[in-house]
Amino acid sequence: MRQCTRITLLLFSMATLLAVSGHAEVVTNLDLRALIREVEDQYTGTSSHANMTMQVSTEHWKRSLKMEAWSMGRDQFLIRILEPAKERDVATLKNGREVWNYLPKVDRIIKIPPSMMGGAWMGSHITNNDLVKQAHIDQDYEFSMLTETDDFWRIEGLPKPEAAVVWGKIIYQVGKADRVPQRVEYFDEAMVKVREILFDQVKTIDNRRLPLRMIVQPMDKPEEQTLLQYHQIEFDIPLNEDFFSLRNLKRR
Amino acid sequence: MMLALASRNIWRNKRRTLLTLTAMVVSSSLLILALGVFSGMLDDMLSAATEQYRGHIVISVPGYQQDREMFAAFAPDADLIADLGKRREILGISPRLRGFGLLSHAHSTYPAELLGVRPNDERQVTNLADHLVAGSYPAPQAQSEALLGRELAKKLGVMPGDELVFVTQAADGSIGNDLLTVTGIFATGDAVHDNNLVLVPLPWLQRVLVMEGQVHELAMRIEHPRDAGGMANQLNTSLPAKLAATAWGALMPELQEAILSFDASRLVVATILYLATGLGILNTFYMSVMERTREFGVLMALGMRCWQIRMLVLTETLIMGLVALTVGCGLGGLMTMYMQRVGIDLSEHLTPITYAGSTILPRLHAANELGNYLLPAALMLIIAVLAGWLPARRAARLQPAAALRED
Repeated sequence: MRQCTRITLLLFSMATLLAVSGHAEVVTNLDLRALIREVEDQYTGTSSHANMTMQVSTEHWKRSLKMEAWSMGRDQFLIRILEPAKERDVATLKNGREVWNYLPKVDRIIKIPPSMMGGAWMGSHITNNDLVKQAHIDQDYEFSMLTETDDFWRIEGLPKPEAAVVWGKIIYQVGKADRVPQRVEYFDEAMVKVREILFDQVKTIDNRRLPLRMIVQPMDKPEEQTLLQYHQIEFDIPLNEDFFSLRNLKRR
Repeated sequence: MMLALASRNIWRNKRRTLLTLTAMVVSSSLLILALGVFSGMLDDMLSAATEQYRGHIVISVPGYQQDREMFAAFAPDADLIADLGKRREILGISPRLRGFGLLSHAHSTYPAELLGVRPNDERQVTNLADHLVAGSYPAPQAQSEALLGRELAKKLGVMPGDELVFVTQAADGSIGNDLLTVTGIFATGDAVHDNNLVLVPLPWLQRVLVMEGQVHELAMRIEHPRDAGGMANQLNTSLPAKLAATAWGALMPELQEAILSFDASRLVVATILYLATGLGILNTFYMSVMERTREFGVLMALGMRCWQIRMLVLTETLIMGLVALTVGCGLGGLMTMYMQRVGIDLSEHLTPITYAGSTILPRLHAANELGNYLLPAALMLIIAVLAGWLPARRAARLQPAAALRED
């Protein structure tokens, strides 16, 4: 009888061990790079069309912009301002690593020179570099698991030695349930936390779980922030390369 | 009697006297010229830094000159400008607004610094109008005319008459943008300004930046740039609390240091030059006293006292010193004036050097300053007295009998 219990215990513990190690295997097999890619591409897909509002508050101004955006793949997107009237039709085109702005007032297209890529985009806390380099984060960084809880993973990204990157470190906190980002923290070369982006209002759209609100928070200015609210977004719409041309950027 | 005797003695040996005088005249006039050229270089450096861009004194919100923070602007009070304008030592006041952004033409886009000015006021403060290489200075009532540096114009590929687009983040966060027409191109030799600076009409920039009525600074040109520090302090006592006057020396401490050290090195040059000359003069006087030992013996035998002999020799050297000084200053002044008017252009052989926040132009050019005469003149008199003192002492110590016996 005692023997029997012992064997049962042994079997039981072996089973538990197997279960645990099986679970552990799942974690190590989790492709972090693919997960990050999924997170960074959440709003784009193969193609997308969205309506959103960007609210920027800084020490010196508060502004609210209504915008319409289209994207194809991760390398092409076009954003056009709808409101306020003063800036209506101001548009930004991203094509690969280049950013172009269309200025309706003077009816001219301007390419942002490399030296100005660190500048603010549309007076927000998002830089031109964010628009361009975001698409390459999964290629430019090496990822490792920091911590894992029942609810989320914390994943650390450190730049590859040869990569030309903006951030010294990025930490992603991704929800396990719907594989949606909760918080992304950005560090400079000195490993000082510079800003964080918070995501919330997760909804299901076209079978995807998607946070509809994004808040960019600079750490050195706690009273400032940029809030991006998606009102409507649809995926896999018919768009072609021509749509992301300079000619179309200029179209009113 | 002493004077008559001394002057007669001087002219007794004409060749010796003329040689000594020539040495003194040449050395003092050359020194005056050298100091003048030095002054010219310092003036060039100072004016390159202040009169091409900054102004001698600027009034702004404290801290603006360090950070160039867009929001550190103020609405200039008409009374304030009128009060400043009443001061005789202020030659010009230019209200300016500064904006940084992108300047674009066709497919080229470059970052640039736009300085919003009223062309006529700015002309009283900076001399970019004298450095035009193409086109013309903006008209007083210019609407959207731009004057830009040669290197920037080259990079953008623009000529006068061409159109530019300026884009920036305005003070309300919106994208400020508008068109400009190139009216002129300047070349100062200063790499930073030639590559970056664009002068545009003040109301135009105020509108694009959404900063109506605002300026960042009042730049001023004053009569005596080297006194700017004291004057800024004095202005600060009467300015409104939120404004401060800053002199060029505080704006560009490295330039101030450079100018002070150049000033000190002038003294070293003067000392070396005069040490050499002084020894020559001492030698000539000594020889002349030695040659005249018998003569002094006779004078003493006739009843002249020791101190009178000493006075006699000293008077001789002093007369020669004064003559040399007059002729030397005159000649030095003439040479300085020539270098001031004409100068020597070295731009074929040298390029301008950017140093201590300023530019050393490739030219030899002199400036006339009173100090450049006082120093050589004072040194000349001291040398003459010193050079006379030793031989005079020897002459005075002679024993009449022994002196008479000497050949």
